[in-house]
This record gives sequence, C-alpha cells and structure tokens, in this order.
Amino acid sequence: MTSIVPRFLKGIYWPIVFLTVLLTVVGIITIYSASFRGSGDYASKQLVWFLLGLCVFFMTISVGYRSFLNLSYLFYAITIVLLIWVLILSEARSGAQRWIMIGSFAVQPSEFSKIATVLMLANFLSNRSAIQHQKRTLIATLVLVGVPAILVLKQPDLGSALVFTPVLVAMIFLWGAKLRYLISLFLAGAASLPLVWHVLKPYQQKRLLVFINPSIDPIGASYTAIQSKIAVGSGGLLGKGWLQGTQTQLDFVPEHHTDFIFSVIGEEFGFLGAIFLLFLFGLLIIYAFRIVDHTTDFRARLLALGIAMAFSFQIFVNIGMTIGLAPITGLPLPFISYGGSALVANFFAFGLLASIYKERSIF
Amino acid sequence: MLSTLIVLGVGLFQTQVIRGGHYRKASEQNRIRLIRLEAPRGNIFDRSGNLIATSRPAYNVYAVPEDFDPRDIPNLSQLLDLPEDQIRFRVSQARFASFTPVLLKQDVSKEMAMQIEERRPELAGIFIQIGMIRTYPQKEVAAHIVGYIGKISREEYATLDPSIYRYDTWIGRSGIERVFDTYLRGEDGGRQLEVNARGAPIRLLGEVQPRPGSDLHLTLDTKLEARLRPLVVNKRSAILVLNLKSGGLLAAVSTPGFDPNAFVTPGRSSERLSLMGSKERPLLDRGLNGLYPPGSIFKLVTAVAALETGTITPHTTFECPGYFRFGPKSRPFKCWFSEGHGRVDLYTALERSCNVYFYNVGRLLGEKRLADYAKKLGFGSEVPFELPTADGLVPDAEWKKNIRHDKWYPGETVTLAIGQSYLLVSPLQILRLVAAVATDGRVFQPKLVTDDFVSIKSEKKFSVRTETFKALRQGMLQVVASDKGTGQLARLSFTKLAAKTGTAQAPPGEAHAWFGGFFPYDDPEIAMVVFVERGKSGGITSGQIAKKVAHIYHDLYSPQVS
Repeated sequence: MTSIVPRFLKGIYWPIVFLTVLLTVVGIITIYSASFRGSGDYASKQLVWFLLGLCVFFMTISVGYRSFLNLSYLFYAITIVLLIWVLILSEARSGAQRWIMIGSFAVQPSEFSKIATVLMLANFLSNRSAIQHQKRTLIATLVLVGVPAILVLKQPDLGSALVFTPVLVAMIFLWGAKLRYLISLFLAGAASLPLVWHVLKPYQQKRLLVFINPSIDPIGASYTAIQSKIAVGSGGLLGKGWLQGTQTQLDFVPEHHTDFIFSVIGEEFGFLGAIFLLFLFGLLIIYAFRIVDHTTDFRARLLALGIAMAFSFQIFVNIGMTIGLAPITGLPLPFISYGGSALVANFFAFGLLASIYKERSIF
Repeated sequence: MLSTLIVLGVGLFQTQVIRGGHYRKASEQNRIRLIRLEAPRGNIFDRSGNLIATSRPAYNVYAVPEDFDPRDIPNLSQLLDLPEDQIRFRVSQARFASFTPVLLKQDVSKEMAMQIEERRPELAGIFIQIGMIRTYPQKEVAAHIVGYIGKISREEYATLDPSIYRYDTWIGRSGIERVFDTYLRGEDGGRQLEVNARGAPIRLLGEVQPRPGSDLHLTLDTKLEARLRPLVVNKRSAILVLNLKSGGLLAAVSTPGFDPNAFVTPGRSSERLSLMGSKERPLLDRGLNGLYPPGSIFKLVTAVAALETGTITPHTTFECPGYFRFGPKSRPFKCWFSEGHGRVDLYTALERSCNVYFYNVGRLLGEKRLADYAKKLGFGSEVPFELPTADGLVPDAEWKKNIRHDKWYPGETVTLAIGQSYLLVSPLQILRLVAAVATDGRVFQPKLVTDDFVSIKSEKKFSVRTETFKALRQGMLQVVASDKGTGQLARLSFTKLAAKTGTAQAPPGEAHAWFGGFFPYDDPEIAMVVFVERGKSGGITSGQIAKKVAHIYHDLYSPQVS
C-alpha cells in the first residue's frame, strides 16, 4: 500500500498542477466577489467542480492519454449525440439551451466536444499519411470538425464554435498539410463568411458590427462592450479591491461570474492583478507548448498542440472582448469562469497534457 | 501564442493605466444618482398674515417602466385622459433605467388621484407622487406686486449658476417673485444614491437636506385691495394707497389685472399667451411702471419750485382772464375755465386748478429751475423701491436739444408748469410727492417688504422747507373742501381730505384722470393716488373713486381713524 501513492504521483509535471490549481483558486475567489450579492452560491459550487476536476486530472494521468486516443471516436460520437440532444431539447423548450441536466448537474456538451474533437483529430490525422491522398484526408477532416462546430454554432454558441478553427488549422499544419491546401482552406473560409453571416442570429451579427464600430448601438449591443471596458479601465493600476468593484457588483456588466469574469479581475485587482493573471496563463501556455516540443509520439504531439491552441485562443478572445480587442462571442475564461463542465473539461485536457509529459519516454 | 498575451498586456495597460482615470469617472457616473430634493419656495404674506403666494401639493402620476404592464395602457389612457401613444412613448424613453420613474401626467385632480390609488392593485408600476406647485390664492389681488414664477429659459440656464438653477427649475419672472427670488427659493438639497444597472437604488451614500426658502411679509393689505379692485374694474387704472404712519404701501391696484396662477398651472398656456399678447396690457403694473403726462397734479411741483426759489409767496396773485399771452400779439394759452378765475393767490389757484396762475409762475421760474425741482422731487428717475419702477421723463432745453434736436420755446415752459409738454410720470412718483407734502417730507420712500433682511438704499430727503409743504397742504385742502374746488366730489363726511386733481391732455383720445390726496388733513394717515387712463376728468372720475377708497379704508380701519 505504501508504494501506491508515490508511484501514482511519480512523473507528474508539477508546474502544470501548481498553475492550474492556482488559476482555479483565483477563479473561485473572483466568482465569490462576482456573485456573493446574488442568490446562487457559485463559489462553493465551483469548489466542488474543482475537486471533481482534480480527480479527473489525476485519473487521466494514471489512465494515460493513449487509452483516450484509442477511444477517441467513441468520445466524439457521444459528444455529437449530446450536442444533437441539446438542440432537440432547446427546440422543445423553445429557448436556447447549452446544457443537459444529469441529475442535478448541468452538463454542457460543447465544452466536452472541443476536447473530444481534438482527441479524434489527433487520432485520425496520425493514422493517415500526409504523403498520399492528402486532399481526401483533409476533406474528411473538415467534415469531422465541421459537424460539431456547426452543432455548437446552432446552440447558439459562436465563441465555442470559433475555437474549432485555430485548432483545426494548427493540427493539419503540424500533420503536414500542403501549403496550397492551407491557402485554399483559408480562401474557402473567407468565401463562406457571407454564408456564416446568415447563419448567425441577429444579436450575434450586431455584436460583430459593434466590435468594428462601437458607436453603432451605444445602449443596445454596445452596452456590454462599453460597460465591461469601463469596469476593467476603472480598476486602474491597483484595482478597487476585492468585493469593491461597482461595475460588476451593481450588475452593469452582465455575466460577470461566467464570460465576463475578467472584468471583475480587472476592476477589483487592477492592472497589476490582470498582468499577474496573464503571467500565469503565459506560463501555462509555455509549458503546454514545451510538452508539444518534447514529445516524440506524433499522436501525442497533435493532441498537445490541439489542446494548447484551443486554450490559447480562448484566453485571448475572452480577455480581448472585455477590453474591446475581440468581439463579444461568449467564451468562458479557462479555469477562472464559473462553469463545471468547462472546469472539468479543462482539467481533463491538462491531465492529457500531463500524461503526455509523463509518458514522453515510453516507446 | 505568447505574442497574443503581449497584445493583451498592452491593451490592458492602455485601458487601465493610461485611460484608467477616464473609466474610473465613467464608473462613478454609472453608479451614482443624484436625486434633487427641491427646497420649498417661501410663502409671501400680506401685512395681516394672509397668504398671497404659497405652494400647494400637486398630484403627479408616475410609472416605473420595470413594473409597468403594457396591457394596462388602454385602461390608463382612459383614466388619465392621455393618448395611448403618449403613454407608450414616455414609458419607452426610460427603458435602460427601468427603475427610474417617468412622469405620465402632472397635476391631476384629487378625484383622479384617488381613482388611481384605488385601482393600484390592477395598475402595476403606476403611482402618485405629490409635488409642489406655486399658487396664488388671492388670484388678481396683488398680482402685479407679487408677480409670478416660470420655468427657466434655455438662455438663462446657460448663464446662471447650474448648481442652483437646474434645467427644469422655476424662477421668479416678475414682481416680488423675481426680485427676491434668491430669498424665496432657498437651497435645494440632494440625495446621493448608489444604483445598480437597472436604476434600482442599492444604498444611500449621502444626503443634504434642502434649506426651505424664506417667507416674505409685505406691507400690502389684500383685504383692502380686494375691495378696491371692483371700483376700477373694466378700466385701465391704478390705485395706490400708502400708510403714512409706517411708510408701507397698503394697496397697489392695477387694472386690467391677471391671475398669476395662469403662469404656474399646467394646462393654462393659452391663457398665458393671451395675457402676454393683450392690447390692454394686463401684465403692466400701471401704478409702478405706467408713464403718463401728469396734467394739473404737476402744479404741486411748480408750486414747490416757485415757493422754494422765492419766485412767489402763497399770497402772490395773478389775474386770470381765462387765457395767458406772452405779448399782446402772441397766441393765447387757455385756462380750462374760459371765463377766467379773476385775481387768484396760490391757494385759490390750487383749489380751482387755475392754469393762468401757473403759466405766470412757470414763465417767472423758467424751464431750467422748474425741471430741476421736478427732478429733485423724484421725477424723471426711478423711485427707490423694492421693485423696479419706471423713471419717466422731465424735459428741459438741454434734453430737447439732445433728443429732439430742436430749441426750447417759451410756450413749452408754461405748458410744463401745468404738467403737459413732454412730461411723463408714474402714479408712484405722484404718490411719493403727495406723501412728502402730507408729512412735511418725512415719508418720501414707500416700503413694501417688512422683513429685516430686506433693505433698500435710502435716498436723501427732499430739501424743501416745511412752510412750502404747509402752503401746499392748505391749497390741497381747499381743492376738496371748497365748493369751487376741483376735488370736491371726494369730500368726506368723517374727516378732512386734501388732494390735487389732474386732467392730463393726451391726444388722441380722452384725457387721463389723476387724483392724489391724503387724509385726515390734521394728522395724515393715508396718502393715495387714483389714476384712470382716458378717464376724462380727474375731479370727477378719479375724485369719485378716491372718495370710495377713503370710505372702504375707513370701514376697515375705523378704530384707528376715529
């Protein structure tokens, strides 16, 4: 018995553990500030999700990423089914729904579909040669990524749907897609923009327009953008102090415990707090890419890159939208925003990364 | 990937450090609402404590858009007698501060307010709030003196101190309300509320109680004025009554009058416009600001000038053949009594208002000395008073050269001596003269406000010898007491009244009728001026009114008189 614990903890990449735990704790502290005046006790709930996430993290490491890659098609299929189920449910309830109730837990399939798609892609691409039949493989890849992306977009969850794009591009690039295919993919994407535009809901269109020109609709769609910028900006260098942010405490910024949690950090902890958070994220990204570099297993490299890309993209878009550098699309900030599915999915993804690190020398 | 983090860092630096101050201010403005607590405007009382101007509660109907149910609109429209789209428009205006009440209808009747209160359970988000509206319970009485208030204009808002005068503030527009606006308005207080994004108050950050406006007490007697007003209804006229014991103005009737409530009551705007556009000029306070030729009543001034300069004594006589000539061949200046008064002294000349006597006096005095004395007695300049008053015009050779670019003719001197020519005086200026004559110059500055905090700069007394005043009083007594006096219609049974009449030619149209007098003769208590525009005859029209004025006063104040 005494040897079980050391063996279980052997080869764990501690900096990742330390950083993810630290980020989640910062998140819980901020969630408390963002919600303590309201009715829901989100901070305690997040703490429970955090513990669950840690379990998932260590279990993932002990199981090893290979098993998950081997089961990736199954995961992928399950998340597709769940995404369809969500759509059917929201049709029936005549309202947008992003989650499924399992007991008293609300599960958000889109969070798991991201990681499932990355797993599936890593498996799919590594099983196919980049030398022969590249076009056929790429078209299949597009379809495989497109199905969950469109299902997520239909929820409607523009932000999560967008995450698939950088992930796809980075992974096929690493796989060895020819430059001309990458270019034509880019052109096709640009050409299909008008089509995508029509798929968007009017409020999503407005948000994008407002990003280009914030003065279009100052009391409508721009309201959130302006208020969140005021929140972050009014924090100044040192911030207003924990629980002291008026912009968020008084509901001027909506969704402040989920998508706009960074405006709470910016307002209450100021520029120094925000930079510290960016520093933590930066370290985490550096470690993630280091794992990509240090792995010799091609499947693992693809998987690690997909995870790192999805993670980086979400950080940029989420923080960017609070200060007007990115359009408001509705993406949670990894490890910080309230949301059980996202937190557990993130711990699962970083468990995969840690597992890749742990097993890097196994041939 | 790290470069994107650097982009974010630079963005945060720009937002939080460089523009941080700007956003900090914006967040303060976001969350702090200033609710103005209006200071109640001071009341205005008459000398017996009767209210002339006060504030009454008005029932205002408000809606909270957050709680408001649009399905109630048809119902509410009927109840408030307000078009449906109006209600819809007002409620929709505040959709981003949905907890901030919007005004639906101002000053509804008490019955309507009760109906709404009764139906509150069905009408979600509708409530009645009591606001204050200025009101003038005496209506036309003292309206010219007290004045009225009005909403601040755009130009005033731009120039006045915004910490005191808000964009929708009320401000004194005329009379006491205007001149004493700063006393009456007090200081508004305020409440600093922290609100959330929907405008719902979260907590009170600070509160400053309003400082109520000061009350003002006037010398006016509204009961007296209310009884005087019917004497001159349908006339363009002014009656001024001055208490010689206190120097306070008792009544200042000016007709046609107006109801100042028209200026402060929502929904009476057409009445306001017709008042302002009327040819009868009801808003003009004829007593203080009306300017007219004085006619014979000005002979008092000529007499003062002549006696003071030693030009004549009261016993100096002139022959009145019914006309006056400068030379044998020059044109005659007529006396109003064409048969002539014969040889008259000053007393008789005043008594019968002999023009020829004063033509002679005027010729001896010359235009310069006459004009100087007129100015010394307060003509041609504003009467020092709590309210702005008209200055009028005293012509002399210099004035004529400068303004009319013409020389002064000797004929103009003699017409000036009987109060014609270019002379323009206000009834208040005449009142001042009559008061000074009655009291040997002691009372020469009428007062209106009795509160200590109001002080008007006091003028120098008229430098006139008491003998001169005494001679004038004697002459004025004869005007009423003598059976040949022009003011005999004003003779009183209970006391002796002394006066001077004036019938001022002002072609085209009938002459203006003047009457200025005081009583009791032996111990003057009251001075008055009765002026009727186009009243034909001072002795008849104004004299008869003056008698009634004295009777009404006697009725009200008899214990003091007898």
